[in-house]
Amino acid sequence: MKYAIHTLNKAFDHRVRLGVMAVLLANESVSFNDLKESLDLTDGNLASHVAALEKAGYVLVSKQFIGKKPNTTYNATAEGKLAFQEHLAALEKLLRG
Amino acid sequence: MKPAAQDPLAQLTEIRAIMERSSRFISLSGLSGVGAGVVALAGTAIGHAYLQQEYGEQGYLRLFGTSAGERLAALPFLLGLAVAMIVAALLVAAFFTLRRTRRDGLRSMWTAPARRLALALALPLVAGGLFCLKLFVSGAPELVVPGLLVFYGLALLNGSKYTLDEIKYLGLTLVALGLVGLLLPSYGLLLFGAGFGLGHIGYGLLMYNRYERASSTNFTAP
Repeated sequence: MKYAIHTLNKAFDHRVRLGVMAVLLANESVSFNDLKESLDLTDGNLASHVAALEKAGYVLVSKQFIGKKPNTTYNATAEGKLAFQEHLAALEKLLRG
Repeated sequence: MKPAAQDPLAQLTEIRAIMERSSRFISLSGLSGVGAGVVALAGTAIGHAYLQQEYGEQGYLRLFGTSAGERLAALPFLLGLAVAMIVAALLVAAFFTLRRTRRDGLRSMWTAPARRLALALALPLVAGGLFCLKLFVSGAPELVVPGLLVFYGLALLNGSKYTLDEIKYLGLTLVALGLVGLLLPSYGLLLFGAGFGLGHIGYGLLMYNRYERASSTNFTAP
């Protein structure tokens, strides 16, 4: 049992980060506002968690301007998708005991 | 910092719910379907009455044998009726869906999945509408009703990726009715009423019973 808990990824040890990864796996590319809306979060809260995921190399951030409005979109990197799927598999394994 | 729920089952359930909610528009109310069906039945009745008044008893059937000039004279009314039906159905759908999103405590109904669903429906519908307009003008009015049913059914199949799966069956039913209409063109008006009217009402009631009735009785329970 102890071994199984170690297979859980520390980078996903927060419900906001789990939520961000879940949305990014279900959708190809998601804007900051759509992400905020689907997870029902505040700007600052979301930004700090996404920054952590970006640092881990799991999320790719692209900033563009539409006219004068900044538009930030997020994608899960291949590494991030793999890590999240492994995390889910570890969770399922924990459940099965 | 709030840690993730320690219970792995709770985590998995939440992740699944988030993935579902962020990629599919699940707030579409079943009553929207019922409303659209009632609008379609009313529109069918109005169209039938108009055609009988223009072309006599045989109404719809006489339309097949008309000259291009006669058909073009009927076009403004029929197009206007179609536009009015679409607008009325959309208004009814928006009303019930907005009511449901409010009750579910969601902030907005115009979310990313809702926009994707609208686009997935709109593309085949616009193409189908133009296609059928051309059929009507160019002398194949008997193909208009089957064409509308087939294109609308395919639009629903296309949209089923972005909302609850059951809408697929409504789409398949409409495509089937459209194909029947190719074989039995004289039944066009009946098929139109059956597909757009009864089809929507049946689908709407099914969805309402399956997903909404339980939650609404919870709200009114003392």
